[in-house]
Amino acid sequence: MTPSESLPVEWSRFQRGALLAAIVAFVTCAFAGGRNPDQFFRSYLFAYLFWIGIAIGSAEVVMLQHLVGGQWGLALRRPLESGARTLWLMAILFVPLVFGVRHLYLWAQPQALAQSEELRRQSFYLNMPFFFVRVAFYFAIWLLFTYLLTKWSQDQDRQADPALGTKFQVLSGPGLVLFGLTVTFASVDWVMSLEPRWTSTIYGLIFIVGQVLSTLAFMIIVVMLLSRRKPLSDLLSAKVRLDLGNLMLTFVILWAYMAVSQLIIIWSGNLQDEIPWYLRRTAGMWGNVAIFLALFHFFIPFLLLLSRDVKRRGWLLGAVAGMILFVNLVDTFWLVEPGLLRNGFRIHALDLATVIGVGGLWVAFFIRCLKQYPLVPPNDPRWAESLIRAGHD
Amino acid sequence: MSSPSFNQNPTPEPEAPLIGFGYNYATVTDKISAIVLSKRTPRTWLVGFAIAFALLMVLMLAIGKLLFVGVGVWGIQIPVGWGWAIVNFVWWVGIAHAGTLISAILLLLHQEWRTSINRFAEAMTLFAVACAGMFPLLHLGRPWLFYWLFPYPNTMNVWPQFRSPLIWDVFAVSTYATVSLIFWYVGLIPDLATIRDRSKKTLSQKIYGIFAMGWRGSAKHWKRYETAYLLLAGLATPLVVSVHSVVSFDFAVGIVPGWHSAIFPPYFVAGAIFSGFAMVLTISIPVRKFYGLEDFITERHLNNMAKVLLATGLIVAYGYLMETFMAFYAGGRFDKYMIMDRMTGHYMNFYWILLTCNVVVPQFLWIPKIRNNVWVLWVISILVNVGMWLERYVIVVQSLARDFVPSSWRNYTGTHWDVATFLGSIGLFLTLLFLFLRYVPMISIFELRGLVPKGDAPAASTGASQRG
Amino acid sequence: MKKRLLYGLMAEFDTTDDLLAAARKTVAEGYRRVDAYTPLPVEGLAEALDFRDRRLPLIVLIGGIVGALGGYYLQYWCSAVSYPLNVGGRPLNSWPSFIPITFEMTVLVAALSAVLGMLALNGLPMPYHPVFNVPRFAMASRNRLFLCIEARDPKFELEKTREFLKNLKAREVSEVGR
Repeated sequence: MTPSESLPVEWSRFQRGALLAAIVAFVTCAFAGGRNPDQFFRSYLFAYLFWIGIAIGSAEVVMLQHLVGGQWGLALRRPLESGARTLWLMAILFVPLVFGVRHLYLWAQPQALAQSEELRRQSFYLNMPFFFVRVAFYFAIWLLFTYLLTKWSQDQDRQADPALGTKFQVLSGPGLVLFGLTVTFASVDWVMSLEPRWTSTIYGLIFIVGQVLSTLAFMIIVVMLLSRRKPLSDLLSAKVRLDLGNLMLTFVILWAYMAVSQLIIIWSGNLQDEIPWYLRRTAGMWGNVAIFLALFHFFIPFLLLLSRDVKRRGWLLGAVAGMILFVNLVDTFWLVEPGLLRNGFRIHALDLATVIGVGGLWVAFFIRCLKQYPLVPPNDPRWAESLIRAGHD
Repeated sequence: MSSPSFNQNPTPEPEAPLIGFGYNYATVTDKISAIVLSKRTPRTWLVGFAIAFALLMVLMLAIGKLLFVGVGVWGIQIPVGWGWAIVNFVWWVGIAHAGTLISAILLLLHQEWRTSINRFAEAMTLFAVACAGMFPLLHLGRPWLFYWLFPYPNTMNVWPQFRSPLIWDVFAVSTYATVSLIFWYVGLIPDLATIRDRSKKTLSQKIYGIFAMGWRGSAKHWKRYETAYLLLAGLATPLVVSVHSVVSFDFAVGIVPGWHSAIFPPYFVAGAIFSGFAMVLTISIPVRKFYGLEDFITERHLNNMAKVLLATGLIVAYGYLMETFMAFYAGGRFDKYMIMDRMTGHYMNFYWILLTCNVVVPQFLWIPKIRNNVWVLWVISILVNVGMWLERYVIVVQSLARDFVPSSWRNYTGTHWDVATFLGSIGLFLTLLFLFLRYVPMISIFELRGLVPKGDAPAASTGASQRG
Repeated sequence: MKKRLLYGLMAEFDTTDDLLAAARKTVAEGYRRVDAYTPLPVEGLAEALDFRDRRLPLIVLIGGIVGALGGYYLQYWCSAVSYPLNVGGRPLNSWPSFIPITFEMTVLVAALSAVLGMLALNGLPMPYHPVFNVPRFAMASRNRLFLCIEARDPKFELEKTREFLKNLKAREVSEVGR
C-alpha cells in the first residue's frame, strides 16, 4: 500500500454541492438580510463562530498530536491540516462582521454608551479601534502558525527529514499556549462582550473545549467516510478507532465538567451581574434547549462512548460524531442568541441561511485543501510504524 | 492478535529506556523485594525516620495545645477565620492528587513509564490525604464531634446542609481517601504475595500473607484483577478532578472577591497536579539516589514529569491571568480593588514570590537541558512547592482580610502554633513515608516484570537455588 | 497418592510463549478444570484457557447507578422531605448544589463494587489452597510459570495426564496434594 493516494473523485461532487448550497444561501441572505441587517449580523455571527471553531480547533489538534504522538494523530493529520488552512478563508469571511460591530455590540453604540456608566468603565478595553487591532492580532498569530505547519508538512512530504519532527514539536508547545490565549480573548471579544456586564473567568476554556470537540467530531466523520478505501482503511484499525472515541469522550466529559462548574458557582453566588446570563438561557423555550444540551451534549454521548463496541464500530462512532457536531451547533446558538434577542426564543430563516452559506464555503474550501496533498503524510515516521503493525496482523 | 509479541515493535524514534539493561523477572523481583526483606535497617533510614518522628511529636504537642485551649491558638480571627489550617489543607490535598493521577490517567493512556513511580506516588497520595484531612477536622474547634458532618439519623432530627460546599468537601475527601486506599491496596496484592513467598521469617510471612489474601497468580484471577484495576483507574480519574474542584468550590461558591471566580475548579485542579508532581520529584530524586534505583526511575521519568510540571504550570498561570484580566474588564470596584491589593497591599510580597515560583521558574523547563539536569529539577520542584503554598495563602488570607466593607478589614499572621502544626504535618507525612519505604515494595514489581524484555527472562532464571 | 488426596498435576514452564501454547493445547485436548499461575498478567492467557467472565463491569455499572440514585435521593430526602428549610431563598430541591455529592457517591459505590466484586468472584481472601503445597510454587510470584490440571477434571487420568503435560515442553511435572 502506498500513502500517496489522494481524495476519491466523488468528493469533488461534495465540493460542488457545498459551493452551490453556499451560493443559494448567500443569495437568500442578500435578499432577507438587506431588509433586516440587525438579524443578518446576529445570524452571521452565530454561523461564523460555529465554523471558525472547527478551523481553530483543527490547528490546535494538529499541534496537540505533534506533541503527544499516537496513530490517531497520523490518521487525522491531513484532514486537520486542511481544516486549519481554512483559517485563510475565515479571515476573509470576517469582513462582514467589521460592518456588523455597531449592530451587534452595545459597547459600540454611542447612545448606549452615553446612557451607561458601567459601559463607559469598560470602554478602555471594549472600543472599536482596539477591537479591530485585536482581531488583526489574533488572525496574524493563527495564520502564522497555520502557514508554518502547512509549509513544514509540505517539506516533509518532499523529503523525509528527522529534524522536522523536532521542529514541529518546538513550534507546537508555544503554539498551543498562544492559541489558548488568543482564542480566550477572541471569545471574550466576540461573544462575552455581547452581554458586557457579565463575566466568567472559565468562559475561554469552555469555548476552547467546545471547539476541539466539534473539530474532533467533524474530523472523525471525514475519516470514517474516507475509511472505505486505502490508505485510511488500513490506518483506522480498531485500536485507532478506540483512541478516537476515547478522545471524543474525554472532551465530552471536559465540556460537561466546565459547564457544570460554571453553573454551580454562578447559581450559588446568585449575583445580579451574573445570574441573568442563566436566566436568559433558561427562560421559556431556551430552557428546553438547555435540557436538550444537557442530554445530548453530555449524557447520551457519554453513555454511548463508554461502550467499546460503539467506539470500535466505525459507522456508529461516525453517527455519534455527527450527533455531537449538531449539538455543538445548537450549543453555539444557545451561547450567542439569548444575549442578542432579549424577547424570547426564535429561529430566523437567516440563521439557517448563514449556517449553510458559511458552512458551504467552508466545506468547499476544506475539500479543496484536502485534495492538494496525499491523504496520509508519506514521510511521517508513524506511517512506517503502521506498516510494521499491519504486517503483523 | 495471536501473540503478545505483536505489541513490542521497535518504535522508529529512539527513546531513552524505561528500565536499565540486563534485568529479567527474577532480578527485578529480587532487587525491589530486597529493600523490604533486608534484615539490616540502613543507618540513613534510621536517621531520617528519627527526624520525621521528632516532627511528628511536634504535631502531637501542637494538637494537644489546640485541644486544651481552642482554635484561638492559631491566630485566626474575624474576618480571617480560615488562616493556615485551610491553607495547609488545600496544599496537602493538592499534593495528594499527583499519585492517583500518575496511576490512573497514565494507565488509561497506556503510558508505561508510570510503572516505576506509581506505587510510590499512590502512597504519597494516601499520606498527603491523611495530613490534609486532619486540618479541617482540627479547625472544627470541637473535632470530637466531626461525625455531625455525616447525614446520620439523630435525635435532633436535623441533617447537614447539602447546599454548602463544606459538606461536599466531607464527601469528596472521604471518598477520595477510600478510593485511593483501595486503589493502592489492590495494586499491592500481587507484590505482597511475592514478599510473602520470599520472606524467610514466619512472622513476616504471616503478616504479608494475611494482606496478600491468598493471592496465587491464577490466570483467571489476573483477568478479573486487570479488569477491576482498569475500572478503578477509570473511576479514580474523574474523582481526582472532582475532589479538587470541590475544594475550589469551598471558595468559589462564596461571593468574596478573590474567591468567587468560575475558573477556580480547573485552575485548582491544574494547581493540584502542578504541586503534586513537584512533590513527587522532590521526594523521588533523593530516594532514587539513596536506594540506587536509577535503573527504574530513569532520566526519562524525570523528564516526563518535568513536562507535566510545565504544562500544568501554564494552566495555573492562565488562571492568574484570567482573574486579573476579568477584574479589570468588568470594571467592578471590588474585584479591581482585590487585585490591586494583592499586587501592592499588605500581602504583596507573598503575591510576587508566588508568581515568581509558579510562573517564572517553571518556564526554564522549556529547555531540554534543564529538564535533564536532575538537581536543577529538584530545586525547581521545591520552589514550586513553596509557590503553591503561598498561592493558597494569598487566596485564603488576602481575600478574607480585605472584603467589601473597610471597617471589617484586618490583617492576619499565623502564630508559632500554626508553624508547629504545619511542620508537624510534614513530620506525619515523612514518618508514614519512611515506614512505607521500609516495609512495602516501593515499586510495583509485577508491573515491572511486564517491562522486562520477555525473551531473556526464563533463560537467566535459576529458580532451584532460591528458596532456602 | 490416591486420587482423592490429589488436587491435580502441575507443570512448570520456562517462557510465556510455551505456557500459552500449552494452555491452548490442554484446552483443545478437552481438559476443562485447568488454571495457569504466573507472576505477571500474561496477555491472552485467560482466553487461551477458554475463560470468559463479563460480570465485573456489570457489577460496577450497577454499583454506580445505585450510588448515583442513592446519593441524590439522600440529599433530596433530607433537604426537601424530612426537614424542609429555606436557605437563602434556594429551592428545597437545589439540584445544582446536589451534583457534587451525587457524583462522589457514584464513584464511591462503583469503586467499592469493583474491588469487592473482584475479590468475591476470585474467591479471595482464601488462606489455604492446595497449589501452595508444591515447593517450587513459591517461585510463581517471582519468575516461574505454572499450569495445573485438576484431578476433578473428567478427563483426568494420572499417568496419561502426566505424560500429556510432559510433552508440552514442561520443565517439570509435579503432583499437587490436598
